[in-house]
Amino acid sequence: MIAVLWIWLAWQAAPNNELLQHVKAGMAARQAGNLKEAVAEFRKVTELAPTLPAAFVNLGAVELQDRDYAEATKALQRALQLQPDLTGAEQLLGYSLLAQGYAADALPHLEKAGDPGALGIAQEETGHFPDAIQNLSKALEQHPGDPDLLYYLGRASGLLSKQNFDTLLATQPDSARAHLAEAENLAVLRRVPEAEKEFQAALRLRPDLPGAHLELGKLYQTASDWTQAEREFRAAAQLEPGDAEAAYRLGSALLEEGKPKEARVALDRSNSLLPKMPETLYSLGQAASMEGDAAAAEQAWNEQLAVEDHTPLAKKAHFGLATLYRKQGKTAEAAKQMEEYRETSHP
Amino acid sequence: MFKRWLLLFCASACAAAVFETVKPPGLDFLHQNSPTRQKYLVETMGGGVALLDYNNDGLLDVFLVNSGKIEDRPRAPETFARNDPRYWNRLFRQNPDGSFTDVTKQAGLAQAGEGNYGMGVAAADYDNDGYTDLFVTSLGKNVLYHNNGDGTFTDVTARAGVAGGGWSVSAGFFDYDNDGKLDLFVTRYMEWDTAHSKSCNEPIHMYCPPGEFPATTNLLYHNLGAGRFQDVSAKSGIAAIKGRALGVAFNDYDGDGFPDVFVANDGMEEFLFHNNGNGAFTEKALDAGVALSADGSPFSGMGVDFRDYDNDGRPDILVTDLARQTYALFHNEGHGTFQYQSLQAGLGAISSGSSGWGMRFEDFDNDGWKDLFVAQGHVMDNVEKVDPSLHWLEPPMLALNQHGHFERADAGFPTPVAGRGAAFGDINNDGWTDVLMSVLGGRPILFRNRGGTNHWLTITLRGTQSNRDGFGAIVKVNGQTQYAGAAGSYLSSSDKRVHFGLDQAAKADVEVQWPSGIDQKLTGVAVDRFLTIREPENKQ
Repeated sequence: MIAVLWIWLAWQAAPNNELLQHVKAGMAARQAGNLKEAVAEFRKVTELAPTLPAAFVNLGAVELQDRDYAEATKALQRALQLQPDLTGAEQLLGYSLLAQGYAADALPHLEKAGDPGALGIAQEETGHFPDAIQNLSKALEQHPGDPDLLYYLGRASGLLSKQNFDTLLATQPDSARAHLAEAENLAVLRRVPEAEKEFQAALRLRPDLPGAHLELGKLYQTASDWTQAEREFRAAAQLEPGDAEAAYRLGSALLEEGKPKEARVALDRSNSLLPKMPETLYSLGQAASMEGDAAAAEQAWNEQLAVEDHTPLAKKAHFGLATLYRKQGKTAEAAKQMEEYRETSHP
Repeated sequence: MFKRWLLLFCASACAAAVFETVKPPGLDFLHQNSPTRQKYLVETMGGGVALLDYNNDGLLDVFLVNSGKIEDRPRAPETFARNDPRYWNRLFRQNPDGSFTDVTKQAGLAQAGEGNYGMGVAAADYDNDGYTDLFVTSLGKNVLYHNNGDGTFTDVTARAGVAGGGWSVSAGFFDYDNDGKLDLFVTRYMEWDTAHSKSCNEPIHMYCPPGEFPATTNLLYHNLGAGRFQDVSAKSGIAAIKGRALGVAFNDYDGDGFPDVFVANDGMEEFLFHNNGNGAFTEKALDAGVALSADGSPFSGMGVDFRDYDNDGRPDILVTDLARQTYALFHNEGHGTFQYQSLQAGLGAISSGSSGWGMRFEDFDNDGWKDLFVAQGHVMDNVEKVDPSLHWLEPPMLALNQHGHFERADAGFPTPVAGRGAAFGDINNDGWTDVLMSVLGGRPILFRNRGGTNHWLTITLRGTQSNRDGFGAIVKVNGQTQYAGAAGSYLSSSDKRVHFGLDQAAKADVEVQWPSGIDQKLTGVAVDRFLTIREPENKQ
């Protein structure tokens, strides 16, 4: 866009040789990376043609490139005074203001420019999280994997989430959901007794509160209290029989309690609800192995390895298979699995 | 009717704790670990304890290992001064009334260990003179005290050649070549000294994990007789592999007549040294299935026991470790292999949130099944700052064995402490096993067994062809199997008498398989008594 402006400027200034020389010198300096010199040349152009909007756009663009945002802002504002419909100038001015932290001031310019990425960032900075998420998502579709966009989208999502939880806690502090939100915050900090209290308060108000039993079970799991974890996961699985995670967690707790038979029932259910989950398949192998069902253990672990290999969980499956084959006297197979196990240990 | 219901209710809910904690007069000891701002790893590891009858009066006495003074000067070698009586190891003689008398000075054990930071203890009659000797491990030099038989001890380390060096931890006497003389195994943790310490996990300054320091070798000393030992660590193959060893226990896992060695390593594969019967050992933990947990993860092995918990006649292995790891129970499947059975045996539910050190399978309720007592507490004194759901201080764990499945029971002491060493024995000679647990930087706690109505039999072995203590003998009573010895646990040495709970059995059939190869059988033995079995001079 800037190059087009330069050409246009050169054409406009054709009758004026001095002006054209400064334009050319500015362009050359910019191409050579001498931004200070380019700024000086383009400034002379604005002095020679003080009513030419493109001259100010070019000056602002180079100043922006030189990270002199204050001067860039002045030049770009002047350009827009001279010609309010310059979309390129709106975009550059938005960038310049955003770079200086004037996100609110940048917003109208970026809206006019129609740049969803920069607009999303400005919206995130000004607390307009839903709009920011929408625009940043749109920008990411155009530039997949862009680290800046991913960062700001993540940040906006997190802040929106926090904003909603803050609203919940401020407006409905005694609701079951408020207690649940508080409990989850405390659980993240591993403050087990306080989190437990909040979970229980939530469940007192709404015994069937979706997610509460599951999260409370995870809290007990964190504290290695498997008996209570089992109770909560069982409640979660009963309330939400279609929830594969609840069934998986119940199976895992039962395994820790040394109840492989019951664990297999829960894990089989989880596997039927959400097949090919490596965690479920590994635990199924573990449960079968604990029950002495070598064939089922072998099948589950091989299924798991077919889904994913060379992961920490796959390493465990290789070790399980090696142990199983060693017990069966299958020395070569055991050695092969141990080799895989060791390779995963030392990638 | 109401009373009947009350009784039924109380049968489960009002069951009295197995132990009561007592403070016997005279057992006055405060462990000095000298915690520093530097957070030297050694200061969180100490606390050896031994139960032994040093004067053969039939009463168990107590030896407690002290650690030492650390000056806490940044980046300066420490001298571990032990002159101050606060830093002495202590020997307490038990009196007939159950009180104790500090006999450290008169026994010649005062001012010992100058320059060394004390760790553990092993007690046994290494010279077959009928008196129990003491071996004390340290960061620095280890010390062998010969029991002179007159209430005094003499430091014979130099003559015996067992000073070692580096950071020694648990030790144990056993007769690896069945020559009738007790040999000595010493675990060593890592290559470490205060000048080479590190700062870890900044900004929350914590004790460094063991992997931060180089691994090292263990020590094996062959008893040559006449009070001399030979370092056979290299020759035997024990030093062929480096580890980070904390605990050690012995048993003959494959029934070939030679004692094998299990070494609990911290944060790496465990070691199982198979005794080849020719003076050499081969490390076989991985092949035997005891190197790692069921999912192939290494764990922080600390204490260890090597006994048959499920009465199938084969010795199993239990290793205590850190919270989140579950105490590792390896069931002996026969044919030289083991299977990880922690979860099936109920240990997942009761141990995965705890960190364990000294422990032992012992039948505390005399019902014929070996129960489990574990001294507990995390290694990091500020672990709560990193994970508030973990605990530096924990109460000890008692789990009762219900036919091979462990269920938590009331240990009679709910107070959280930094438990470390634990020695097991019948301190008041009532037929019920007691526990003495050391506390890091604290006073030892005596768990006195409240007793009950079940029958019991406690056997003192008197070897003639075999070593005099009978260490390594396999003793079978009414379908139970015990391995004679004082080693195992962590840093500690237990009563060498062999104890059996007999439930309601009024008689006992006893078989002793001596290390010499002699088999001895006694039938219809009266119960509720202390029995001395002398090894026959010739094979029966």
